[in-house]
Amino acid sequence: MADLKGFTRRKFVHGSAAALTATMVVKPSLAAATGGGVTDNQEQVPHRPLGKTGAQVSALGVGGFHLGSIEEEKESNELVARALDAGINFFDNCWEYHDGISEARLGTALKGKRDQAFLMTKVCTHGRTKDVAMKQLEESLRRLQTDHLDLWQIHEVVYYNDPELIFAANGAAEALLAAKQQGKVRFIGFTGHKNPAIHLKMLSHDFPFDTVQMPLNALDGTFKSFEQRVLPEANKRGIAVLGMKSLGGSGEIVSRGALTAEEGLRYAMSLPVATTISGMDSLGVLEQNLAVARGFKPLTADAMQTLRERARPVAADGRYELFKTTTKYDGKVGREQHHYPTEEKLPV
Amino acid sequence: MASEGRDGSEELMATAGAPRGDGIPMRPFGRHDQNISALGFGGHHLGDAPDEGTAIRIVQEAVDSGITFFDNCWEYHRGKTENWMGKGLKGRRDKVFLMTKVCTHGREAMIATRMLEQSLNRLQTDHLDLWQVHGVGWDNDPELFIRPNGAAEALLKAKKEGKVRFLGFTGHKDPAVHLKMIETGFPFDAVQMPLNAFDAHFQSFAEQVLPELSRRGIAALGMKPLSGHGEPIVNGELSAEEALRYAMSLPVATTITGIDKLEVLRQNVKIARNFKSMTTAEMQALRERTRQSAGDGRYELYKVSLRFDNPEARLAHGFPLDDQSVEVKEMMKATENTGFPFPDVKQQQQ
Repeated sequence: MADLKGFTRRKFVHGSAAALTATMVVKPSLAAATGGGVTDNQEQVPHRPLGKTGAQVSALGVGGFHLGSIEEEKESNELVARALDAGINFFDNCWEYHDGISEARLGTALKGKRDQAFLMTKVCTHGRTKDVAMKQLEESLRRLQTDHLDLWQIHEVVYYNDPELIFAANGAAEALLAAKQQGKVRFIGFTGHKNPAIHLKMLSHDFPFDTVQMPLNALDGTFKSFEQRVLPEANKRGIAVLGMKSLGGSGEIVSRGALTAEEGLRYAMSLPVATTISGMDSLGVLEQNLAVARGFKPLTADAMQTLRERARPVAADGRYELFKTTTKYDGKVGREQHHYPTEEKLPV
Repeated sequence: MASEGRDGSEELMATAGAPRGDGIPMRPFGRHDQNISALGFGGHHLGDAPDEGTAIRIVQEAVDSGITFFDNCWEYHRGKTENWMGKGLKGRRDKVFLMTKVCTHGREAMIATRMLEQSLNRLQTDHLDLWQVHGVGWDNDPELFIRPNGAAEALLKAKKEGKVRFLGFTGHKDPAVHLKMIETGFPFDAVQMPLNAFDAHFQSFAEQVLPELSRRGIAALGMKPLSGHGEPIVNGELSAEEALRYAMSLPVATTITGIDKLEVLRQNVKIARNFKSMTTAEMQALRERTRQSAGDGRYELYKVSLRFDNPEARLAHGFPLDDQSVEVKEMMKATENTGFPFPDVKQQQQ
């Protein structure tokens, strides 16, 4: 039985950039379709508009979970500093990642550089009330050593009754509005990795979400597809889309040989999204991601179709998108609130 | 939640097939001239019986109590439950409607045919009354089933050769996959699915699949009336009797429930013998009670996690195994490499 926990992305990220680039024909017109803002500077990660908010974010974002996986704080500080230098301004995080360690790490790393970053974290009510959310916000702000967030999102909307709990009277949706009104957060959104139908149910409430985060990768393109079902709806509404899980969550897409890491990341970044959030647990992974993201030019529609078709046979049963088909990526707090067994009692 | 029409047909169907005296009610098997017991004997739990002797006694008493529908599966406890059921049915085979399932999980016809021979051998019979494709739940299962050289061909061949009388499929994951399977146009006689008071609110087989089956005259076989391992009963959401009565009151040919002890058998037989269909109002009242906790699937983990997906299926689809599952533990013990998917459970391991 393959144990994916043993993998880290650095082990299977290959330097096949040249090989792939040689087969690609880049149409400049497509850059506009992906949200524009692509600069000519080959050394920097391009910035794109964040929906209709007026803000600009880097096309590659640093995932917060993996920051907490790095052993030495020195290295996470270095990773954040180098990311900023390369033009990355989008930093993801979450109240429940590593029980707060991820937020604390990022807070430390951004000390004195807060104004260079577009800072996002997530709130983990998982169906609980507004006051729980507001308390978590204060904790997040304290750990992140800031007085405001650029973006605050409801985390992990993956249980089928989450939308009704979130929009119930005194639910998390009210907390988002209150925080925005109080000036503690600039923009608001939600995230989830399970089912496009749940995302659409959230959007159907016509709540003023600025952003929505979802898994987007070449396999998703043909299986329970956020790309097909949610991305166009969000674009239509002017809600910025934040992509995640470009390699399957723990690199399953790459480690099982469906695509190379570069193909996977390139595909995700070529979609009409504001940013693609990638977990980076070492400087090596950051550099490999930057090799793709610096001066990024989107793949052509044909090249994307080729990748989708190549991945289709293994996409069709969700074996490498375990966040959709298993409880593997459902966090501890959400399981508790929804009375699901713990990870130990309900393994993948 | 449910339309009046659906509740009306529930009562109609559930009372059809009048009880024989004070016995277990019998009901028609879909469009066919065949009756089966409204309570079905689930095969998987038989493998949890403490020993072979107990298992044989449970099977014998079940037949003698009037249960005719017997469920099993090629991959349950890696063959042990088929073996035990075969021994229990010795001399009683012609009194029962015997079903087992085939575990290709997308693989080709040849594997299915080989599994059929093994099942017949373990069950000590020359034919099955019903042979079903097991665990259809992955989105690409229907296309893999119906493709050239897929399991569909093995099913038709077995029927033509008289080795099986009827054909069907089972699954616990997603009503949409069931509908996709039905839409392949394959001549299914039976379809098995989880049916209980929680399903009514959550990705509902009762709502989405049952009406389609009744339109086509396909026998509906309910399973997981107690949600798999009785979690909601343990947590006091409803009683075992309420849960079983609710499931049996739906328009199904039988409700299959797992039996691992004589006491469980006797309790279920008693409920089935006294069975009176719930009224529309009773069913609605029970659904109201389950509505809130049904909403996130906590009592239907078979729909939202891999918990009830057997290793044979996970391997065929490239999913991780659960080393706590009984079949995986049994698999680890098997050392014989036949070159075929997985070695048989040997007699001495039972």
